[in-house]
Amino acid sequence: MQNNSTRRWRRTLALGAAATLVGGLASACGSDDGSSSSLGKNDTLTITTFGDFGYADVIKKWNDDPDRPFKIKETRVAEWDTWKQTLTSDLQAGHGLTDVVAIEGDAMPQFLSEGASDQFVDLTDSSLDKRWVEYKYKAGQTADGKQIGYPTDAGPEAFCYRADLFKKAGLPSDRDDVAKIFATWDSYFAAGRDFVKAMPKTAWYDASGSIAQAMLNQVEFPFQTADNKIDVENDGLKNVYKTVTDNAKTLSTRAVQWSDDWTANFTNDGFATLPCPGWMFANVKSSAPKVKGWDIVDAFPGGGGNWGGSFLAVPKTSKHQKEAKQVASWLTDTEQQIGAFEKAGAYPANLAAEEQLTTTGKPDPYFNDAPTAQILANRAKAVPPGVPYKGDKYSDILGLLQTAIQRVDEGKSADSSWKTFTQAVARLS
Amino acid sequence: MTRRPRPLVYALLAAFVLGSAFPLYWSFIIGSVTRQRASQNPPPLLPGGHFLDNASQVFDRIDFWSALLNSILISGFSALSVVLFSTLAGYSFAKLRFRGSNAAMVFVVMTMAIPPQLALIPLLKEFSNLGLTGTHFAVALPWLVTAFGVFFMRQYLVDAIPDELIDAARVDGCSMIRTFWTVAVPAARPAMAILGLFTFMQVWTDFMWPLLVLQGSDVQTLQTALDQLKIAPGQTLTDMALLQAGTILATVPLLLLFIATGRHLVTGIMQGAVKG
Amino acid sequence: MTDHHDLPGRGHGGSAVLDRGGPPRRPRDPGPASTPSWRHRLSRWDLKVSPYLYVLPFFGVFAVIGLYPMLYTGYLSFFSWPRFGTAHGDAVGWANYAHVLQDPVFRKALVNTIGIFLLSSVPQIIVATLVAALLDMNLRGRSWWRMSVLLPFVVAPAATALIFGSLFADKSGLVNDVLGGLGLSPVHWHGDRFASWTAIATMVNWRWTGYNALILLAAMQAVPRDLYEAAAMDGASRVRQFVSVTLPSIRTTMMFVIITSTIGGLQIFTEPRLFDTNLQHQGGADYQYQTLAMYVFNTANSAVDPYPRAAAAAWLLFLLIIGFALLNFVLTRALQRRSLA
Repeated sequence: MQNNSTRRWRRTLALGAAATLVGGLASACGSDDGSSSSLGKNDTLTITTFGDFGYADVIKKWNDDPDRPFKIKETRVAEWDTWKQTLTSDLQAGHGLTDVVAIEGDAMPQFLSEGASDQFVDLTDSSLDKRWVEYKYKAGQTADGKQIGYPTDAGPEAFCYRADLFKKAGLPSDRDDVAKIFATWDSYFAAGRDFVKAMPKTAWYDASGSIAQAMLNQVEFPFQTADNKIDVENDGLKNVYKTVTDNAKTLSTRAVQWSDDWTANFTNDGFATLPCPGWMFANVKSSAPKVKGWDIVDAFPGGGGNWGGSFLAVPKTSKHQKEAKQVASWLTDTEQQIGAFEKAGAYPANLAAEEQLTTTGKPDPYFNDAPTAQILANRAKAVPPGVPYKGDKYSDILGLLQTAIQRVDEGKSADSSWKTFTQAVARLS
Repeated sequence: MTRRPRPLVYALLAAFVLGSAFPLYWSFIIGSVTRQRASQNPPPLLPGGHFLDNASQVFDRIDFWSALLNSILISGFSALSVVLFSTLAGYSFAKLRFRGSNAAMVFVVMTMAIPPQLALIPLLKEFSNLGLTGTHFAVALPWLVTAFGVFFMRQYLVDAIPDELIDAARVDGCSMIRTFWTVAVPAARPAMAILGLFTFMQVWTDFMWPLLVLQGSDVQTLQTALDQLKIAPGQTLTDMALLQAGTILATVPLLLLFIATGRHLVTGIMQGAVKG
Repeated sequence: MTDHHDLPGRGHGGSAVLDRGGPPRRPRDPGPASTPSWRHRLSRWDLKVSPYLYVLPFFGVFAVIGLYPMLYTGYLSFFSWPRFGTAHGDAVGWANYAHVLQDPVFRKALVNTIGIFLLSSVPQIIVATLVAALLDMNLRGRSWWRMSVLLPFVVAPAATALIFGSLFADKSGLVNDVLGGLGLSPVHWHGDRFASWTAIATMVNWRWTGYNALILLAAMQAVPRDLYEAAAMDGASRVRQFVSVTLPSIRTTMMFVIITSTIGGLQIFTEPRLFDTNLQHQGGADYQYQTLAMYVFNTANSAVDPYPRAAAAAWLLFLLIIGFALLNFVLTRALQRRSLA
């Protein structure tokens, strides 16, 4: 960001413009002197993240190091959705953004599309080719190979389960023994039916939406074909929709993820299993600190899948693009990613960090001493690269599908809800 | 009429007041139990002993004091500005005659019908263009003067200032602005107090606009800072106990202001009435 | 205008003291020969320009934060503008309006908005009037009662939504617990359309009823007490006095309350948005409580031509509000005529 005096000067200028009551759009459009100006020791490079990326400690370390050429300042925003609104309007305005911005993984394809990707700096650096797990690295590239974002975390999925409730229901509860329950979706749902028969007060899984998300992550072309044509009438998607809605009444809590009711279910034995990407571990712990019995299985129905994971990008409006790129690269480097994992549970997309965590990672007493890092490393290997294909409207359609599933949870018929869904999708073109 | 009303009247009013107070009480209950207890069934009905724990967590997670200061600055500045400019405009509409005055007044009232969403996106872009996002001024600008304020002051001043007073001041050779200060402002004081307090409260509790213009900046108001309590790994966090404790902390300053000035406010509203 | 928008307790407004352009009254004792005309001119200029100067700040600020964005929005609504584009594209005529009007979600949002508005304004105004009538009595601790009805106003809408969101949680909420305790079946506060409207309207009513009651009370206090005495002498009961004396006397204030709550009600946004459990902020999975203001906001975040379509929707919302305000105006006027006849 600009140093203080230019900022103040610009603000005065802006006030003047506002006072003359005209100005508006005509006056503006930020100066485009690119990456020319340089940063001194006391200048600050800025970054915006949403949620908790777990960077607080590593950034503090950077700032405490007198040899660093400048300071870093992180601003955190609560929600991706509202941040996206500000990000978009600041992008169009041509200034107002920090030097580095975080972008959510499912929405990344929008920013990779033509028109949007031009507003970001190309971060391509062949020396980094082997740094990240391939499916995440590729997901930060445009079709013509420009690297727009450096991957931060990845979301290889395992399953969290309540060993105590499994035992009560007469199911195997040991980490190795339950693996066969989680071998395929069929075995998973079959075990669920047994479970709810024995434990009618507890649902099998946390939310219809999370199972849909988990299954979708294994469908190759869920919403759009390789040339970005919308196609929601494919068998893969329909199978997910049918399975999830068929089981909604019997196996699901039918609560919406992240809602009050969903959170409450963590403590009142509301459900027994939950798809668990690395970043979910911290959520389980903080939602149910006193519940004993949570465990993590090193298996995932149908192989593997990735849920979530974000990117760091540098908007062209940054005055310090070189330094911004450097910081984005530094933050996604091994040591910092390990720090982020320890701080916020964001499992790194960085390969060396994954490896190191596997060897140094300690078992987690909360999860019955599960070797969490080892499990996640195994799960990351099981993620099919490039699946699912995320077209430019991926997050839009995903949102509509989740909404359609919520409708069925709330009592609408699966058919009518599907019809509303396809109508809404049709309006996206 | 001077007869004291029957107990039934008090009972009805008490029921209404209890209904008004209950959600605040509930907020305090949830804010004073542990996160776990907050989401357990059946819900707690009595306050627990964890309010200070939750509050200290709030202080850890957000920069409460700087948000408080920002809220005070922004709300205070807006309230002063609204009161000053609304009184000026209201006085002009009520007591001075100028070409187009009636049409302009109708126009002012009509602007109240404009939904904020109509202006939200272009305004956000406009502010981005001007480099104003992330500043105190950006939050306050829409509140410099409001149609409601102008309308409110006009309605009040029409009767509150006898025409003869203005004439007399003019006859004494007072300039227009002096007449305003010496005649209009003293007469308008009760209404100014009400308008000031209402505006202060409204800006204090405003959410969407500050959220959008302040996102990603150091400057946060209490309402937008509270939103950051949801920051968590992965998705958003619904720690009800923490959020409610934050809500209470953010409401208490306003509550204190309200208790301190409320009597004045209420008698102010009534004063206008008694004379009319 | 004046007739219908009078604020609490203020009589009908006559206005204007100073004649437009007329000669200044009785010029004050003239000083040296040359100054009076100079002073005189300055004073005339002062007289002429000041009124405009005083209203200028409002119009200035309005131009920046209201008029300009509004016209710009209107202009945009006739163009295409791809997501993340840096500038708008081709003119598309009325296509954006057509798109919005044909959108089943828009139609649903229209019905929701009107439904929530009715549920929040009708009971609110009735209860506010009754509370005002109670407060109008010769109560012990008058100021205290008056202050306490305004209590909810200190709570931010965002906090209100948070509090009521947890009270109305479908499974873990207190309201359903109480219903269960009474032997009633729980209500799907988020799933059921009417129930969700009720929950949202409850938040609005909670926050605004006391406020409106005070405004109405102020008007009631202005009713000359001898009117009541006369009515009492004619043998009218308390209720009868209220209907035939109080209500007609507070018509103009009532009109103000109705119009402001209409405008506010149709713009409702924060409460339903924060009440929403749907992760896409659709106002419920079946759009059962998506309001028009939410529709505008969501559209601005959608995949295709977000700004232009949101702009078109915003203008439609504006027209709707104007329409309702006019309807109120005409209806009340007709009622007044009838009651006067």
